[in-house]
Amino acid sequence: MGDPMSKKYLFLQRSQPGNWQQPSPAQMQDMYAAFNAWKEKFKDNILDMGGKLMPGGKVVTTSGATDGPFVEAKEIVGGYMFVSAESVEKALEVARAMPMLMTGSSIEIREVSGP
Amino acid sequence: MGRGPEGLPGTTAAPGLVEHFFRREYGRLVAVLTRKVGVRHLDVVEDAVQGALLTALTAWTAQRIPEAPGAWLYRVAHNNLIADLRRKTNRLRILEQASDTVDQESEQSPPSYFAGEVADDTLRMLFICCDDAIPRESQLVFALKTLCRFSVSEIALRLFTSDANVYKRLGRARDRLRQIAPEIETPPLDALKSRLPSVQAVLYLLFNEFLGDLMSQARELLFAREQADRAAVHSYLVTTLCPDIEMRLQFTRARNVPRSCEFAPASVPSLS
Repeated sequence: MGDPMSKKYLFLQRSQPGNWQQPSPAQMQDMYAAFNAWKEKFKDNILDMGGKLMPGGKVVTTSGATDGPFVEAKEIVGGYMFVSAESVEKALEVARAMPMLMTGSSIEIREVSGP
Repeated sequence: MGRGPEGLPGTTAAPGLVEHFFRREYGRLVAVLTRKVGVRHLDVVEDAVQGALLTALTAWTAQRIPEAPGAWLYRVAHNNLIADLRRKTNRLRILEQASDTVDQESEQSPPSYFAGEVADDTLRMLFICCDDAIPRESQLVFALKTLCRFSVSEIALRLFTSDANVYKRLGRARDRLRQIAPEIETPPLDALKSRLPSVQAVLYLLFNEFLGDLMSQARELLFAREQADRAAVHSYLVTTLCPDIEMRLQFTRARNVPRSCEFAPASVPSLS
């Protein structure tokens, strides 16, 4: 983190499984390169690359645990990441440049409260 | 970033990877793995390799590239392939068991992959209705209600029971189905086989209901010839009831199982 002025943001990535086509190996190579370029460009902002979330899971409430989450496919969170930025505008800049936006993903940006 | 998805393929500098790495590895892995398992599994191999590349794309961008990316890819693709083939051969083995009495005619037809590919929606739903988790008498009621649009009293009449009882059975079936709802896709093949007697029981009742003009033939088939040739009876029912040739074939293949159609004897005497 370093910079005391910077805030911490959680990036939640959602993808729409339906209209996502399997990339060809050549496209994968491009995606890999683009993603690495993005990572390099914003390496000071990326706190934690996070990861991909497996489908399925459980939802726990006081009334017990169920399989879930049962939400619309477009609302399912597929991955997360922590980013530091001095403002939400900067966080937006980081998110907008993410190559995965090209594959139909959306990124939700939430500031993490606290120090 | 200004970099469009149409960026020149193959000219991208991917850190840690040689040019065309993904494409080259794809071809290599498909060739290697196909040699291992045979060309007849080519589609499975291709899926396994594609899956491995996608896994790599995610893992390598999120963390770092492994020391030997080629070996890493091979291991993942190989594991994918083994898992896929195990699933597939399991299906095939059961299919063979179910069709070991297939006659010459059906032998010449293209293979039908039952599991995951029940092409006929109605048939598929019928098998879902006959889920093992649903009590037998509820399966039948539920199938008749859901698929055949029988009214509660029509069902009650045919099963020699009361309307209230039919309601109760329907409720029980719905409860069970709700519990298994997340996995309600196509039932696996072994489930299809074990559900076949229930499915056939429903078919007998359907036969009873809809094909009144064929009753005399039905009586002949079900009574006079039953002991002599169960298979013929079954084939007749199948060809009469199933307009879809694919559905017919599937039932004909599994026709050596209809021993326990416990509902049939109850329903048949009511014809006369």
